[in-house]
Amino acid sequence: MSIFLITRPEHDDTTHYLSSWCKETIETAQERGIKVIDLNRERANKSEVESVISKVSPNFIVFNGHGSNNTVTGHNNKPIITAGENEELLKSKTVYAISCKSAKILGPKSIEAGAISYTGYDDDFIFLYEPEKISRPLQDETAKLFFEPSKLFITSLIKGSSVFESRKKTESLIRSTIIKMLGSNSDANIVKFLWWDLKHFVSHGDLEATI
Amino acid sequence: MSISEEIKELVILRLETLPSDKKISIGSYGEFSKEELIEHVKKEDSIGKKMIEVEMEFLKAFREGIIL
Repeated sequence: MSIFLITRPEHDDTTHYLSSWCKETIETAQERGIKVIDLNRERANKSEVESVISKVSPNFIVFNGHGSNNTVTGHNNKPIITAGENEELLKSKTVYAISCKSAKILGPKSIEAGAISYTGYDDDFIFLYEPEKISRPLQDETAKLFFEPSKLFITSLIKGSSVFESRKKTESLIRSTIIKMLGSNSDANIVKFLWWDLKHFVSHGDLEATI
Repeated sequence: MSISEEIKELVILRLETLPSDKKISIGSYGEFSKEELIEHVKKEDSIGKKMIEVEMEFLKAFREGIIL
C-alpha cells in the first residue's frame, strides 16, 4: 500500500496558502486507499519527519514550506532536509517540494542518495494572492492560478500517472492558463510570474516512476 | 554590475500595472505589495534584482516565442 507523507507548516501568509491548497490532495489520496500522514503546523519539523520515515517508510513525500538550494524547511523555517546532512532519508521515495530553490542542489543530492525522483523548483516559487482572502485561501481566484498546477501534479501522481506524465499535465495547465491570461487586460501582467514558476519547475531522477 | 536606468524604468512601469489589491509572495524573501517591490527595484537590492530578473526573462522568452 502506498503511504503519503505531507508537511504543511503554517507560520506566514505563504505557508498558510501552501498548506490550504494542498489539503484537498490529502482527501484525494485517502479516497484512493492511500495512507496519509499529515504533519501540520508545529508537527512539520525534522524530528517528526525522521520518525515517520523510520517507522512507516512512506513512498511519496510532499514538502510545503520555504527552502533554499540545500534545504527544505518546516514550521517557523526550521530545516527538515538538508543536503550533506540527511538527504539519505529520501532514499526510495518520490518527492515533490513546493519550496523555493531546493531542486537546485538538494534535488540532485537526494537522487545521488537513492531517492527515486525529486521534483521542485530550482529558483524562487512566486505567487500572487488577494490579502482580503487570507482567511479563505481556497476562494482566492488569483492564488488558484498558481496552486491548481501544483495540486494537479500531486493528484496525478496519486491517480497513478508517472512523474513525467504528471509534469506534462501540470505544464499543459500552466500554458493554457497563460494563454487565457494573455488575452485579458487585467491579468496579462501576472503571466510573468506563472512563466517563472513553469521555467523553474524541474524533476530529477526516474521520471517514469509512479507511486 | 549596475543595472541600466532604462531597464529599471521598464520594470517599474510594468510593476505599476499590477493590480493594487494583490500581494506577491517571493519565497523566503516574504510577501510584498507592488509599491514595496517598486521601492526594492529603485534600491537595486536583492529583491529588486529578483524582480528585474523575472521581468527580463519573461520579455526575452516572449520575444523568442518560447512562452507557449
